[in-house]
Amino acid sequence: MPDMQASAVEIRNMHKYYGAFHALKNIDLTVKSGERIVICGPSGSGKSTMIRCINRLEEHQEGTITVLGTELTDDVNNIDEIRREVGMVFQHFNLFPHMNVLENCTLAPMLVRKASQRDAEDEAMRFLEKVKIPDQAHKHPGQLSGGQQQRVAIARALCMRPEIMLFDEPTSALDPEMIAEVLDVMVSLAQEGMTMLCVTHEMGFARSVADRVIFMDRGEIVEEAPPEQFFDNPQNDRTRLFLSQILGH
Amino acid sequence: MTDIAAAPPSPIGTASHWLKKHAFSSLPASIATVLFFALLLYIAYLVLDWAIIGAVWSAENADQCPAAHGACWSVIDARYRLILFGLYPYDLHWRSTLACVAIVLTVILSCVPLFWSVQRLALLWIVGFGAYYLLMEGGPIGLQQVTTDQWGGLSLTLFLFSSVVLIGMPMGLGLALARRSKLPVISYGVAVLIDFIRSLPLLATLFTAAVVVPILLPDWLHGDKIWRVIIAFALFFACYQAEVFRGGFQAIPRGQFEAGQALGLHYWQILGRIVLPQVFRHSLPGTVNMVVVTFKETAIVIIIGFFEILASANAAFGTGEWAPYYIEVYVFVGLIYWVFIFSLSQYGEYLKRRMSVAKR
Repeated sequence: MPDMQASAVEIRNMHKYYGAFHALKNIDLTVKSGERIVICGPSGSGKSTMIRCINRLEEHQEGTITVLGTELTDDVNNIDEIRREVGMVFQHFNLFPHMNVLENCTLAPMLVRKASQRDAEDEAMRFLEKVKIPDQAHKHPGQLSGGQQQRVAIARALCMRPEIMLFDEPTSALDPEMIAEVLDVMVSLAQEGMTMLCVTHEMGFARSVADRVIFMDRGEIVEEAPPEQFFDNPQNDRTRLFLSQILGH
Repeated sequence: MTDIAAAPPSPIGTASHWLKKHAFSSLPASIATVLFFALLLYIAYLVLDWAIIGAVWSAENADQCPAAHGACWSVIDARYRLILFGLYPYDLHWRSTLACVAIVLTVILSCVPLFWSVQRLALLWIVGFGAYYLLMEGGPIGLQQVTTDQWGGLSLTLFLFSSVVLIGMPMGLGLALARRSKLPVISYGVAVLIDFIRSLPLLATLFTAAVVVPILLPDWLHGDKIWRVIIAFALFFACYQAEVFRGGFQAIPRGQFEAGQALGLHYWQILGRIVLPQVFRHSLPGTVNMVVVTFKETAIVIIIGFFEILASANAAFGTGEWAPYYIEVYVFVGLIYWVFIFSLSQYGEYLKRRMSVAKR
């Protein structure tokens, strides 16, 4: 077995360009198995792009990304293997509107992991209970609130039994009163030891759950520190400016 | 104290109230209403008088037609087999009838959700079209052979229509997908093809397939004229349908693809299970429109020498004795068109309702 314990995600000297635009500059990041990382930064700083590189929703041009010992290359088998192990939750949920909640959760396990319908449904119900909406299993996404939809999206990702979960601003599209229900689910996931990379501006969540907070600006990782140090004693001017802006009032 | 409002209004009360409010609100409105209804009744009477009261019904009484003031349905009684079956040999009309039933049943069954899987639809269509072709042609199953140039009437119209839609629909989907290809050669090539065919009149496309292609191609590539025409018609249909699908594709947010990718699904799985079901929903109104228009456009094959229902209807009053009764023949054919097209569009409405329920 490759060194799974050592590192879940390892990014070395990674660069990403959109045409002439240098979106990510020399990214170096190691995430150990079971670690919870919160990534924050101003909009356009490249934080979403960075985690989307981890499951190849975006392609990087230079450097290496290794996920659970498998290097991300153009090899389709590697990409498939990594996507099976990495779950993702999106800002806009991206549930499949023509399927009910249960079908949303069982589609990938049945097609990718070749689970039987029965097993897939049993497991989906377990995860729907975990995110506290088993009673909505037969509704369609359009009938649910934003918070409920995002919890379904988390359950859908968990049904693939991923080793790593990526969260791309999971609460940014939610009405304020629904943010807590989603964060609760994320906190309980963190307590179970899931490896998590969360792009979020929920600083309360970062403070209570994260092992490390990463601050990005203009395509670079500017600062990287445990939450106490990050919030109480930020080293970089840009970090201080950002924190004063989002915690200012 | 009595609560007047609590008394439920009687149905008669509400109807008279409604009339008072909408039809008799003032003196001019009342006059307009009365005049309008009088005119409507008068027209209804004229139609009824022509179509039923003053009409002659059977072929034996055809000699009464010139004297009658109503419709002469005798022409239909005498010539309906020509209208429905065209030049198909008279004593083999039972085969054409069965073939019609086969194709109509195939179309109806494929509208039933139970049959909505690739395997079931494929099986259904192979059986349905096979039955149609064997019954009409006859040769391969040892019946008397009837070549395609003798096919005609309603059975030819139905065959043209369902073949064009059946071949054109997947072709249109293929073109729509190719137009989205990441390879510029394919996407531009297909875009040019679609715009080229759409810029040609249908008549020119069919004429090319029927008349020009045999001049250009070697004999063994000609195929039967009816198939050349069906394929050309299907291509024409596909180019329009591809644009209908394209609109459907554009309505799907990128996040749907990404969610599928992030779950580890492959391109074809994402397409088949996530994207296409939504594309079909979005493009349903346009698709129903295309199908309905195509049913009516089949009449154009008359020009390249096919004897579909409108052509055989023209023949039905083409002889001297029936010549004055073309209105009756057109009303009859119009009714047949109406039954099919009305059913198609009602089915489209049913699908829309069904899908909006699923989406809620």
